[in-house]
Amino acid sequence: MAMMDGGNNNLEELAVGCMLSIRTTLGDEFEGQVVTFDRPSNILVLQEGFKHGPRRNIRLLKTNYIKDFTFLGQSDDPLDPNNCFLDLTALQTREELAIRQAEADAERIGVGVTTEAQSIFDALSKTLPVRWDKTVIVVMNEVRVGSPYNSESVIGGTPAANDRVKKMLEFERKRLQIRGTIGQ
Amino acid sequence: MGCSKREMLTEDHGESMSDALLFTTISIIGLPVDVHVRDGSVYSGIFHTASVDADFGVVLKKARMTKKGMFDTNVGTEVVIDTLVILANDLVQLVTKGVTLDGGNVTRSDEEAVTCEVENHIGSLMDAKQDNQSRNRSPVQMENGFAHGFPRSIAVNEHEGEKLPVKKTDRKDFAKIEADSASSINDRQPGDDKSKGKADNCRQKPEVVKRKINEKIQSLNSSHGNLVQVEVVEHGSTYMISNTSDNGLSCDNAASSVKLDDRCSERSKSADSASTISTQGVDLISESHNLLPKPVEISTPRGTGSTRNAKEFKLNPAAKIFSPSFIHPSSVTAAVPTSPNMVYVPNSSPSVSFTAIQPQVGFSSFVSRPPLPLKVAEYSNVSVGNCGSGSQLSQPIIGQLAHRTQPLRYTAHYTPDLSEPAYLQPSSPAVMVGRSGQLVYVHPVSHELIHGATTISPVSAHPMSNHVQFPKQQGGTVGQAIQVCVPPPVLSGEQQSYALQSHIQLLQPSFPTTRPFSAPVTNGFYGAKFS
Repeated sequence: MAMMDGGNNNLEELAVGCMLSIRTTLGDEFEGQVVTFDRPSNILVLQEGFKHGPRRNIRLLKTNYIKDFTFLGQSDDPLDPNNCFLDLTALQTREELAIRQAEADAERIGVGVTTEAQSIFDALSKTLPVRWDKTVIVVMNEVRVGSPYNSESVIGGTPAANDRVKKMLEFERKRLQIRGTIGQ
Repeated sequence: MGCSKREMLTEDHGESMSDALLFTTISIIGLPVDVHVRDGSVYSGIFHTASVDADFGVVLKKARMTKKGMFDTNVGTEVVIDTLVILANDLVQLVTKGVTLDGGNVTRSDEEAVTCEVENHIGSLMDAKQDNQSRNRSPVQMENGFAHGFPRSIAVNEHEGEKLPVKKTDRKDFAKIEADSASSINDRQPGDDKSKGKADNCRQKPEVVKRKINEKIQSLNSSHGNLVQVEVVEHGSTYMISNTSDNGLSCDNAASSVKLDDRCSERSKSADSASTISTQGVDLISESHNLLPKPVEISTPRGTGSTRNAKEFKLNPAAKIFSPSFIHPSSVTAAVPTSPNMVYVPNSSPSVSFTAIQPQVGFSSFVSRPPLPLKVAEYSNVSVGNCGSGSQLSQPIIGQLAHRTQPLRYTAHYTPDLSEPAYLQPSSPAVMVGRSGQLVYVHPVSHELIHGATTISPVSAHPMSNHVQFPKQQGGTVGQAIQVCVPPPVLSGEQQSYALQSHIQLLQPSFPTTRPFSAPVTNGFYGAKFS
């Protein structure tokens, strides 16, 4: 185990497969195995968690920000050059799915609302189609629930829908209170 | 400290990003990443891409700041940034969790193979697609026994068809990629097809026009002699329209044809709007020009588009008026003319069997024509007149298109209501077994079935609507046809025969008793006539 002080000069000698414990200038500290070091971009690719199954964390770290590191050991090249497959189609679909999911998630998060309002929204969303209109929860596209999200603040919609939302709101509020008290 | 051969390889690339980093970068595309930047703030988002030049900048999608750094930035903490570009200077580290680097989440393709595949496909996409089509067709051809009658293009397709399996076996995993790349590649293909396809287009177009004219004439006379022909006529009309309207597209036909390969999707689109139909028509035309076999396959899409157009065509305002009274009147009206059958067929056509049938129909029309010297002569005559006639036809058709669009909608509405498609399919498979001529008859069968189903109560109404529409339609078509096709006398003889047939068919629809069995018999009869 060799201890080397931080320095870009030393890093250039980093080789693939080294186990390192690294501290960054931003205070992060982690261990990882060197996947590669790309000199032009000065980026060190590390993987961690490779001992536990095929899934691992990948870090792309600018070596400029390594404060110091410790050499923990040496192991094989983590990448088998004969087994590096990329399915571009799968990657594209994965990205599209992820973006779509992110959009859907983003719509579900109210901007400028309290956590209580968000939790009410989340609770309502399990049973009813809801969306945010700024800080107003719109249920079934007709009933609007504004701050403070009481049954009194349920506005609009057909009487039946309005009543239903009110009941749901009261019910969810009770559940949230119970959960809150239990949590405390 | 050992150096892997990969590392050694990267040395050769000089300033460009190392292969390993590139691989790692690509393999985390679409995954959620945390990017730490210089001031300590952290952005979480979906890794979109990175600069692969000397500087490693990254682009995130749907990024949010999850940790506030030391400095104020122009990015709010709660705001989701659609696309966030983090320059290399600001990047400290990028963390991705739960990645499988060793191809665990990747099928079987490595980058090189992919690129090679893409290149190959660019060259061979057309082939591949044709191959697909040819495959689908080939069985049909075998069944029909028309293979000998098909033009050379078909033979070419068959060759390609043989090639494809090989490709696929070699590169199963790439099939997807190919498909995906196909869209992009399509753009290039047109160029290739243009060169070789132009000549074909020049001569084939006239043929198409001829067909249309002939068919129209026939349709004028009876339009029912052969459903197939009638359909073709309708198709032809649609094509004509597309051609005339989109003159510049002829060169691009190849591209359009390629697109057509995905008929299913296009069909659905066509159903949505008339405009899409017109585009299909164009595509179809192009295909017909390029490859005879293609037209056959295309025929199904045509059927959808053309039939709808035909419906629109044939649907008289009066018919519309009547329709409200009956639940199915629209279907009835459509059913009366052969073309309406087509309309229904397309609706039902989603099933593979049907598509196959229609292609056969197209073949039958092709086959029957080439063998007949008389027809050839007709074509030639027609062709002479076609240049002018085609344009004339197209214009009137276009005028009608506006009318059609509305009818199309009607058809769409009605079809769901009607259980007809279901009826058609059962009858159609039987037809499939038969030959092209039979196919034609098959359509009548379907009509019959439809009529029986729909008209049980309103039987009287059906004949009424049929008759009314018929004259009107014929009149309209006749007017067009007359302009275009007056020249060929030979056609008249054939047409007459057709007309007789058509009458028979018409009668059948009027009588709900007609049954699928009768159809095969008639088919044989027609086939004899044609041959």
